[in-house]
Amino acid sequence: MTVSLVIDTSTSRTSVAIIDDTAILWQGFRDGATAHGHVLPALAQEGLSAYSVIDQVVVGMGPGPYTGLRVGIAFARSFALARTIGVIGICSLDAIAALVTEENDFIIATDARRKEVYWAKYESGMRVGNPSIEYPLKLSESPLQIFGEGAAKYGIGSKSEILYPDLRAMAGLSQDSQNWIDEPMYLRRPDAVPTSERPS
Amino acid sequence: MIHEPLVLGIETSCDETAVGIVRGRKLLSNVLSSSVDEHARFGGVVPEIASRAHLEAMGTVIEAALHQSKVTLNEIDAVAVTGGPGLVGALLVGVASASGLALGLNKPFYAVNHLAAHVSVDLLTHQLPVEPTIALLVSGGHSSLLQVDDITSSITKLGESMDDAAGEAFDKIARVMGLGFPGGPALDRESVGGNSSAIDFPRGLTQSSDWQTRPFDFSFSGLKTAVARYLESTPNYNRADVAASFQEAIVDVLLLKAIAACKKTGIDSLVIAGGVAANARLRAVAQERCENSKIQLRIPAPGLCTDNGAMVAALGSLMVSAGRAPSPLDAEADSSLSVTTVSLV
Ligand SMILES: [Zn+2]
Repeated sequence: MTVSLVIDTSTSRTSVAIIDDTAILWQGFRDGATAHGHVLPALAQEGLSAYSVIDQVVVGMGPGPYTGLRVGIAFARSFALARTIGVIGICSLDAIAALVTEENDFIIATDARRKEVYWAKYESGMRVGNPSIEYPLKLSESPLQIFGEGAAKYGIGSKSEILYPDLRAMAGLSQDSQNWIDEPMYLRRPDAVPTSERPS
Repeated sequence: MIHEPLVLGIETSCDETAVGIVRGRKLLSNVLSSSVDEHARFGGVVPEIASRAHLEAMGTVIEAALHQSKVTLNEIDAVAVTGGPGLVGALLVGVASASGLALGLNKPFYAVNHLAAHVSVDLLTHQLPVEPTIALLVSGGHSSLLQVDDITSSITKLGESMDDAAGEAFDKIARVMGLGFPGGPALDRESVGGNSSAIDFPRGLTQSSDWQTRPFDFSFSGLKTAVARYLESTPNYNRADVAASFQEAIVDVLLLKAIAACKKTGIDSLVIAGGVAANARLRAVAQERCENSKIQLRIPAPGLCTDNGAMVAALGSLMVSAGRAPSPLDAEADSSLSVTTVSLV
């Protein structure tokens, strides 16, 4: 029996859950692409007030828009440090893929902003290669079904409700060390524009 | 109320990932990891590089600060963090790290003002009450004159820069002189042996009409233009003289106004804080002029002037001692937080 505090901030949704193995004890989410910073601690506080004993933290490592993604990872790491428990990073796309049951081979795409998507291909439900970035139109040339927030936003997906990472799936994925990721999946190099040269 | 609270402070408003720990007024540790080298080739701080570096370094810096202090996280009474102003993406990493710690430890969380923290760090150096005092806050992002009646609750802005911050002027002049980034320390070194009255560079907002309308505001853009023009028209300029004269013009106007603020308010105490307060010439001239004007001068040790975690912990410690309410965990980092707001509520 392992109780996990599970966090994902890789999409426009901030999700938090407290999960015992794969049984959900508490979960909450809020939508808003720029809200992760203040929403995450509030949700975590709410969940922890009901279930305060946590054995490990599981966090989505993206890919996802950087600022929100970092909020989730920074929070997860320091909470784990405070409790002297472990923190396990999981690919957020895998936690969306886990929801797809009607197809064996498919694509997961989330919103990467700047009219691009983060995506990965899955065969027999397993991810093939590392996630990358692509234009939605390019992806839509594939015969495969596309799921995820990016597919919905750019109108390239099925009319599926499968949009955001599933935290129960994340808890499940954390049980296999092959799924563990240590570093955030940024996939883009930083835009190198110093503050002094930005239009103010 | 805890008399000598043990407070951990996190600072990530710009390019330093910094953590400090204080017990009451005693500095226990001050650790930082800077991404400045990664920014140098761009001639300025690149926000996305800074934010990535904060996340990468945070855990190590926290653990190093604990190790140096010989305390464990469980002993911490409160967690403080810079809530603004600063680069928003960078602030968010610090605030998320601090709220995660506070929630994990079940300890109060204080999201405090970076500028007020700069002023309050003085207590770690001088062990004296901080207020009431006039504070001259000079850094790469800010040049302001403040009246501090209570550092935990009452700060009034008397004036500020109308254009560039003092530190920004240093950076820009260093760039045109080819001295690299950051410009403050480079110009400080370059000015050694130079004649500070060799070139009479302009002192912004010091005309008699300015003393009527904008007595405590600064302007450095005219100075910047004057230096650039001088360099252009004087191909064989003496670098040390230019650096010393430019520095003198900035130092002169900063202190003219700071001392005028002391006289106007009748407060005979001045704290100089922020990165530019590490400048040797500013420290020397301030000493001399404050002595002449019978003003008690306090400048933090140079290592505490630039951005650091101890200053955040110091302000957090004062907040706890003063019985101020903690910030809610869902406080929103504010990139343009006004100096008059000491903590996020
Ligand atoms: Zn600063």
